[in-house]
Amino acid sequence: MIIKRYNKVTSTNEIAKKIKPPPWTVILAKEQTSGYGKEKRFWFSPKGGLYFTVVLPKLEIEDLNFLTILIAYSVAKVIKEKLNLEPFIKLPNDIYLNQKKVAGILIENVIGKKVLFSIAGIGINTNIDKFPENLQNIATSIKIETKRKVKNFELLKALLFEIKGQIEKMK
Amino acid sequence: MRFKIQFRGKEYEVEIKEEERGVKIKIGDKEFLFEKEKVQSKGFFLEKRDFSKKEILAPISGTVSEVFIKEGEIIEKGQRILALSAMKMENEIVSEWKGMVKKIYVKKGDVVKKDDKLVLLE
Repeated sequence: MIIKRYNKVTSTNEIAKKIKPPPWTVILAKEQTSGYGKEKRFWFSPKGGLYFTVVLPKLEIEDLNFLTILIAYSVAKVIKEKLNLEPFIKLPNDIYLNQKKVAGILIENVIGKKVLFSIAGIGINTNIDKFPENLQNIATSIKIETKRKVKNFELLKALLFEIKGQIEKMK
Repeated sequence: MRFKIQFRGKEYEVEIKEEERGVKIKIGDKEFLFEKEKVQSKGFFLEKRDFSKKEILAPISGTVSEVFIKEGEIIEKGQRILALSAMKMENEIVSEWKGMVKKIYVKKGDVVKKDDKLVLLE
């Protein structure tokens, strides 16, 4: 896997869609100025969080139905196993801790007669100390919940290993 | 009706005669009778298709979240035509062909099933 690191981007998904790198390339950013989720809803992405996009291999169109759930499962599994927490998956694409959103996934595909390009954008609130007032009741971070700092790159490596394993099993 | 045909450099005299039993075709000194009952087919026709028109179908079920093209516009192969949201995924649907957008069957907010018609190209 190739990891392309950025300090600040609009959104890691936007960068991936623009440069269209080969499968298993990862776009990693320390901060996003216009991070977004479904329906272009703003995703608060300050420094401290883990924001990345994985370019996926081209799957069959039929397999796309399982993709979001599979990635959400992978993220929740790694958070549970590596950080010893009890995340809750709000199907199909959000991960909650203590009834507040801690991670989100946005899959974007380009489809013609078959899948031409596919990416999974993942945002995890790891080391965010404080959320804006309008998000305080609905969002949290791992640091807020555990009072511990997360090693973002270690978490990223575990996530990529898990996601790759799951996707290859599906293929 | 009599006429002459040339086939592979050789000339043949052909006579076609309608008779009560069917059609008799005489080629040179050989006769072929196509009897009405035996020749009549039972509606075995291929459906008439217009290959100049191409329909883009929904590759997956979902909700149309955006339409990027307009009727009358010429679009290129690979150009994005609309976005479909499905299973919290955003999917850009691109055209497999170049052509003029004759008709757009859907609008933003419509729910489509797999294989529903999206766009007609000419």
